[in-house]
Amino acid sequence: MASQTAVLVIGGGSTGCGIARDLAMRGVDVTLVEQGNLTHGTTGRMHGLLHSGGRYAVSDQKSARECIEENRILRDIAAHCVEETGGLFVKRPEDTEEYFQKKLDGCRACDIPAEVLTAQEAREVEPYLAPDIAKAIWVPDGAVDPFRLCVANAASAEQHGGRVLTHAPVTDLLVEAGEVVGAKIRHEPGPRNDSAGEIETIYADHVVNATGAWAGRLGDMAGVDIEVRPSKGVMTIMNVRQVDTVVNRCRPKGDADIVVPHETTCILGTTDEEVRDPEKYPEEQWEVDLVIDELTKLVPILGEARTIRSFWGVRPLYEPPEVGSADPTDITRDFFLLDHAERDGLPGMTSIVGGKFTTYRMMAESISDHVCGKLGVRASCETAQVPLPGSEDFSVLHDYMDEFGLRSPVGRRSVQRLGSRADDVLKTDAPNPVLCECEGVTRAEVQDALTHSGTDLNAVRIRTRASMGNCQGGFCCQRLASELHPDHDEETARTSLDELYQERWKGERHALWGEQLSQAALNHALHAATLNRDGDPAKAGTPDWNAFDGGEL
Amino acid sequence: MIESDVLVIGGGLAGATAALSAAREGADVRLVSHKESTLRNASGLIDVLGYHDGDLLADPFSTLDNLPEGHPYERVGAEAVEDGLALFDEVLGDLYAGSHTEKNALVPTTGGAVKPTARYPKTVAPGLASDTNEMLLVGFETLTDFDAPLAAEHLENAGVPFEVRGVTARFPMLRADAKITRYAKVLDTNEKGIRSQLVEAIKPHLGDAERVGFPAVLGHDHPEKVREALGRELGAEVFEVPSGPPSLPGMRLENTLFAALREAGVTIETGNPVVDFEDSNGRIDHVKVKRTHQHVPYFANEFVLATGGLVGKGITSSREGVREPVFDLHIPHPENRYDWFEDDAFGDHPFARFGVAVDTDLRPRDSAGAVEFENLRAAGGVLGGADFAAEKSGSGISLATGQFAGKRAAQQS
Amino acid sequence: MSDSEKFPIDVFPEAEDMDLRPGADSCYKCSTCDTSCPVAEVDDDFPGPKFQGPEQWRLKRKEDVSVDESVMKCSNCMRCDGACPAEVPLSQMHNTARGEYVREEMSMLSREYWRNRILANYGTLARVGSKVPRLTNAIMGNSVVQRVNEKFLGITAEREFPDFATETFVEWFEARGGAKVQSDEKRVAYFHGDYANYNTPEVAKALVRVFEHYGYEVAVPDQRCSGTPMFANGMLDDARRAAKFNVEIFHDLVSEGYDIVCSCTSCSMALRQEYPELFSFDGTAEVAAHTYEALEYLRIYEDVEGDLKGANPDVPDLAYHAPCHARNQGLDGQAVNLFADLDGVSVTDVGDSCSGISGTYGWKEENYDTSMKIGEEMFEHMDDAPGETGLTECPTCAMQMGHGSGYEIRHPLEVVESALVE
Repeated sequence: MASQTAVLVIGGGSTGCGIARDLAMRGVDVTLVEQGNLTHGTTGRMHGLLHSGGRYAVSDQKSARECIEENRILRDIAAHCVEETGGLFVKRPEDTEEYFQKKLDGCRACDIPAEVLTAQEAREVEPYLAPDIAKAIWVPDGAVDPFRLCVANAASAEQHGGRVLTHAPVTDLLVEAGEVVGAKIRHEPGPRNDSAGEIETIYADHVVNATGAWAGRLGDMAGVDIEVRPSKGVMTIMNVRQVDTVVNRCRPKGDADIVVPHETTCILGTTDEEVRDPEKYPEEQWEVDLVIDELTKLVPILGEARTIRSFWGVRPLYEPPEVGSADPTDITRDFFLLDHAERDGLPGMTSIVGGKFTTYRMMAESISDHVCGKLGVRASCETAQVPLPGSEDFSVLHDYMDEFGLRSPVGRRSVQRLGSRADDVLKTDAPNPVLCECEGVTRAEVQDALTHSGTDLNAVRIRTRASMGNCQGGFCCQRLASELHPDHDEETARTSLDELYQERWKGERHALWGEQLSQAALNHALHAATLNRDGDPAKAGTPDWNAFDGGEL
Repeated sequence: MIESDVLVIGGGLAGATAALSAAREGADVRLVSHKESTLRNASGLIDVLGYHDGDLLADPFSTLDNLPEGHPYERVGAEAVEDGLALFDEVLGDLYAGSHTEKNALVPTTGGAVKPTARYPKTVAPGLASDTNEMLLVGFETLTDFDAPLAAEHLENAGVPFEVRGVTARFPMLRADAKITRYAKVLDTNEKGIRSQLVEAIKPHLGDAERVGFPAVLGHDHPEKVREALGRELGAEVFEVPSGPPSLPGMRLENTLFAALREAGVTIETGNPVVDFEDSNGRIDHVKVKRTHQHVPYFANEFVLATGGLVGKGITSSREGVREPVFDLHIPHPENRYDWFEDDAFGDHPFARFGVAVDTDLRPRDSAGAVEFENLRAAGGVLGGADFAAEKSGSGISLATGQFAGKRAAQQS
Repeated sequence: MSDSEKFPIDVFPEAEDMDLRPGADSCYKCSTCDTSCPVAEVDDDFPGPKFQGPEQWRLKRKEDVSVDESVMKCSNCMRCDGACPAEVPLSQMHNTARGEYVREEMSMLSREYWRNRILANYGTLARVGSKVPRLTNAIMGNSVVQRVNEKFLGITAEREFPDFATETFVEWFEARGGAKVQSDEKRVAYFHGDYANYNTPEVAKALVRVFEHYGYEVAVPDQRCSGTPMFANGMLDDARRAAKFNVEIFHDLVSEGYDIVCSCTSCSMALRQEYPELFSFDGTAEVAAHTYEALEYLRIYEDVEGDLKGANPDVPDLAYHAPCHARNQGLDGQAVNLFADLDGVSVTDVGDSCSGISGTYGWKEENYDTSMKIGEEMFEHMDDAPGETGLTECPTCAMQMGHGSGYEIRHPLEVVESALVE
């Protein structure tokens, strides 16, 4: 199996999806390949902060300016992915006045709207802030759903003639006569199950390596060194939103200094520790305890609130080898475009490393300009003006009961997730029961997600948020798997169920105390005692039926 | 002054069994339960022992003597298991089947696996997997926990010795998010001739099926009437596929058990937690029941703790550790909370065994192994030492230890 | 951590939009609350307490105002509170959501709003009506008036308004010269509520006589409605005014060494649970901590259990229904247990179902059928029980029992009075 494209983008994170959209809109024939789901890497493992730039206003004003510029653009073009929460930089009594002033001056210098609030005013915005805080600065931080944003970018790329392949890891880069000319990929089970197991050779005029923390591995395939310095950080998810505003600690860089309201939850972050391998690194108790204990100083109720899981992300940090920072927190968050023709004498490939989520569009524009230069394409970038799919004419519908027969909070959440697609997805003649009660996800929405996700229930999960609430899938995993049948056979549905259940457990086990341990015990009882999924004879082998009670005659 | 011979704390299967067995010994018994019984969370099946070291057991009784020291069954002995079942059979005999044999029955689950159990509601009986009659499973679009065609295919893949098919029907009348009690109610009262409407919807799919399985919503107050009516019109045996939570078979079990308690003269109080106690000379003098804001003393000679495990909140935990909240009893557990679980979701989780450790008289022991209070016994889920979910032994442990603790308490009082 | 650190600041002391999202932390989705909900069992337009409580609250963002209208179908029986093994503040979530719905979504010009307000403020109506009891009884019992009520106000014509007594309890108490027993040690302040005052003074009189029998000085202070019907209708402003008045009066008495006793289990529920959940006036917590249901109080401090053994009251066989709000306070088995060893009287528990009326709920035209469906089980069991007299602590349950069975309904205090007081 072979195909041809002008530009092959490797990596389905925010940067890769952004590049694919940008190029496709400029009329370039583009193919994007991603080893897992979209956002499989760092993009899917972040706290969802849409930076105002405030966090960089002291240490890196160039980044800060870029952030506020992109922040404004995303509010326009990605309305259904963004929640305009606002943000606070909160000064505790022990934090220095000097830094507070620097933060304020920095924001103002970078055109970031910033307003000083007294302790009382800050607590009127967020009543659960600690009573002893000193004061705060309000900035236009926001929350963004990275998955929804990537999906919208990929969908836009497809609408403009691009090709997007998920579950398609690169097995090799094609290097011919000292030039990168494409890549081999393997199709894995996912949305395109019919081709699972096949190897496809994709020839390309130019290859863009947008694999983030994995960039070094791609480099190895082509025989070039890309010195990414992956750094891990923990994020702990609370069951409910204790705050509706992003809450930052106003002090110089440090661990555990941010709470981001994200959908129905709050995400506490984070830590910064260099790791060797972006896939294998220890996930440790002290990291979870640290973020809870530190952030409890800002929002005391967090100390007793329920966490439902923790996850770790790996930042794809990069710095030119000659800089040699010892501490990962010192490494710049700026991005680097590595033209391998110039840098390594290997034409045909460009790598993009470093950078941050909020400015993904700007990075994509810059790479696309560079690639178009190579290809001689003269079209200009339109991604800052044209709304993403789902964000056109986005308005929240009010009468969910009448429109879709849904209870109003369920309808409201569905529309917040689906944006302008809500009408298409939710209007159905069949009964449309809620499958995931924690997040208010209906069968119609799951069915819609399945058309994009094949048999991968984790892909359904990140599209819909089903199984991401209190019970961590205890009650809905099985319902989601049932939706695969009869389009897929029972064994496939069972395998997908097991994958989702194990994935949920992977994060939930970091939250096993208090309510969440009770929840885990209940889930264990439901899945093992009531459903006997652990001893299921379809897996464990057929019993001797005659040896058991055949009923009273 | 509120007092009794025996005070049972907890209204689940273990607490109810303890109260009943103590009352039958002639004691004046009071049962206090913080909340409504958690029986309505359970599937209603009475598992005794389905697996040992991961092996499926056809006969649970042959293995009871091989359990490790500290397992609740090892503490009370096989005889207590039989006594517990005998008490259960006597009280629930009209509602339950399975007492005709010592063998486990294999009952289809809503997921389409089968699970070993020792007693099962009569509404479940025609569904046994060792029966060879052709089976039709019927699910409803709006009852999302049971996908009948998927379950049927699953049973086939497990190699069941009968033909099985599944069909999804539309349940007439009800909104998509109606509660299971609503389904049961319309079937109980046969609102708008619902039973016949259902039968008409299913008949075209019946084929040669001799038994038809439904989600367990076939009536709350009159399940036998509902089943009989559906069966008669369909010309096939009708049964329920148990699930939960929540669970109507569990609610029916609760109703019958509590009626038996009232009949036996047990005083039942629900709604307020036991929060504290006073002791002297190694004996509990009285416990304190929290009534909204006041702590009211309840005196008794003997006490039975049957407050459940992590799910029932008889055991609580925090980042600092695991504890028993009423008497602050010792709960053995690893210090590091990352040692409380395995990385595999179905691994051999230590947390699943958390609970109090007891002597062979079911009296909780402290960290040094000494009995904490002379007149306090523990029963059911609050006991440690068994992963009831993996073993399929939850109800059996509650019956055996509840019966034992209640009887011993009454004898001592 | 101290309590003041844990709780949010009271930014707008008079606002009702308190943030109950953290209450969803305790829910592990077992749905026990749903199985105990009497409304969800008979009406599938009501999606059950789990949805109304932890799920609806968890899905909220700060700026979201829309509460699902189905919250108005909740009858505020609070059985969900008694069911939840994880202590989710279900009824508090419902009360607050209902308040929000009424404020944000319900038109103040609508018939429903005014009907609910009238029903919620029964005390005002009663104060006027009881001035001319015979005339009022004649008018309210008039079928034309009942039909007008149904048509213009949505108050069902199926029910008959309760009769007003010709002498209110307070009038009686003042006429007899107040308390007959004086004591510095044993003092109770009686929260009688509107109903016992205007409609069933015999219950209130029984309380006074029984407590005086045990040597208590009984105070009967000025008071307003406990607020129960106002919570149930989302009329939190009305409830706040009444509660504030009551807390001030009764807090003073608590400071003087009085405990508070109630003859109505919804009143005791309001004072001890709902006030501290919804309001924070000075003294709210102290009032809550000193409030008891009357018989509960005697069980704790007197040997009423022993005194009743073998007593021979002049009452017929009784069919007892435990009100949901009694159940919620752990009092559901109390009356039957206390009366188990009376001589010559059988007291039968008619089961744990809800009566279906839930205060003002069953008075609304649109709820009448649902209310009677919920009550069906209780009516059946009353029919099966020996005797033709009912027994319950709650005045509206009593209305429903009488309405469905035609029985006369008594209060446990009347039984105790007959058994113990000359």
